[in-house]
Amino acid sequence: MRHLLSLVFGAVCLAAVLQAQDVTLRGPSDAAAGSAAKIATTGSGSATFYLVGPSSTVKRDVQLGQEISLSPKEVQTAGRYVAVVCSGSCASAAFFVAPSKPVNLTFVVHPSRAPVAKNDLISGVTFTFDEFHNLVLTPATVDFQLSSKGGTPVSHNVQTQSGAAWFRISSGKAAGPLQISASLNDVVAKRVVQQVASDPCNLRIKGQRTAKGIEVETDPVRDCSGNPVPDGTIITFTAKNGDETSTVDAPIKQDVARARITAKGPVVISAASGVVMGNQLRIGGQ
Amino acid sequence: MRIPTTSRKLLLLIFTGIFVSLASLYSAAADSAPHVTLNTSKATPRQVEPLTERAVLRDYKFAWTNLTQALESNSTAPLNGLFEATADKWLKDAVQDQRHTGLTSRYLNQNHKVDAVFYSPEGDVIELHDTAEYDLEILDGSKTIHNEHAVVHYVVLMIPGAERWVVRQLQSVPQF
Repeated sequence: MRHLLSLVFGAVCLAAVLQAQDVTLRGPSDAAAGSAAKIATTGSGSATFYLVGPSSTVKRDVQLGQEISLSPKEVQTAGRYVAVVCSGSCASAAFFVAPSKPVNLTFVVHPSRAPVAKNDLISGVTFTFDEFHNLVLTPATVDFQLSSKGGTPVSHNVQTQSGAAWFRISSGKAAGPLQISASLNDVVAKRVVQQVASDPCNLRIKGQRTAKGIEVETDPVRDCSGNPVPDGTIITFTAKNGDETSTVDAPIKQDVARARITAKGPVVISAASGVVMGNQLRIGGQ
Repeated sequence: MRIPTTSRKLLLLIFTGIFVSLASLYSAAADSAPHVTLNTSKATPRQVEPLTERAVLRDYKFAWTNLTQALESNSTAPLNGLFEATADKWLKDAVQDQRHTGLTSRYLNQNHKVDAVFYSPEGDVIELHDTAEYDLEILDGSKTIHNEHAVVHYVVLMIPGAERWVVRQLQSVPQF
């Protein structure tokens, strides 16, 4: 009787060891984010199944020897997953979930306002994401389209590297909105850069003495590409009479800045805007 | 005052116990502190400035320290604003799920070899490739259900925040 019991106990132990040794897991080899997947198991009996992913953890009872189904929601996040089954001892397998197809482009363009005719001033960067916010790393071609009023649209095809594509261009010669779009298949992201006049060019002034003082004004103020400098840009008029110097700041209104200088003797008047100097004007005494 | 021999032995035993406990605590703390190296020489199109390199290295290392603590303690408090947007949501979801299922994850003996591969022209985003090596231990309650030495590749997007560089995307991939 004692021998029989020992034999049964030994057989049970052996079966348990064999069962523990037999349990293996095989994760999916081509799982994609948001798509159902299956994990193959061997062995028999019930077990506890764990799935630890980048943003989720699952724990449930399963039957060994059957496939474990993973719902689309359980594998939405791309990355490395560890699947574990425990029945007495534990067995595990790691597998990767790949991002699904790109449906979203993050597109950042700098600057939002750009002076015209500046080299390598405008740049844009885009990253491709799937619907679950996974970065899509498979190389893809992003089409950057640039168009401005009166200009010929320009297209740049750039292949993503590690999910990123970028461009850098010089600003155009004409002020106005520059429409920039990044597209990948049916996904399009649009941005606008406002191109504005650059610094004034060939600043010229004229003036005459009147009963109330010296009236000075600029010619229409334009940048070197011929774009009118925006209203509100300050022009500084400086009048020198011997050792005396007086200055007047005047904003451009409708392309022209005007100022009145009160000086009785002969004066030399000049104008400046930022670092740009204009011509000198000599006005005789009263 | 004379201490009896038995009491002396008892005191010695207590002090040895305290010493061993402190040593193991120190060892655990040392194990969980990530070791991170950053190479920015391959970054394009913009060159990474030395100050930026130091800041990215400091904050990425800090981010992993916080991630480790969060997943080990099942608390989002250690995340401490170093993760943003998708990375922040994923981590918070992971912590919440772990808490719900009673699991914890431990990342021990971390070693991260990080390469900056993309630094945007305006310096407003940096992409890192991190080859991370660590011992991953997953526990259900106090029972270890998984233990492995893993080498995992991460693609990371970091952006400059108000005071720190923050992780916006932390995604593991089979290879670069």
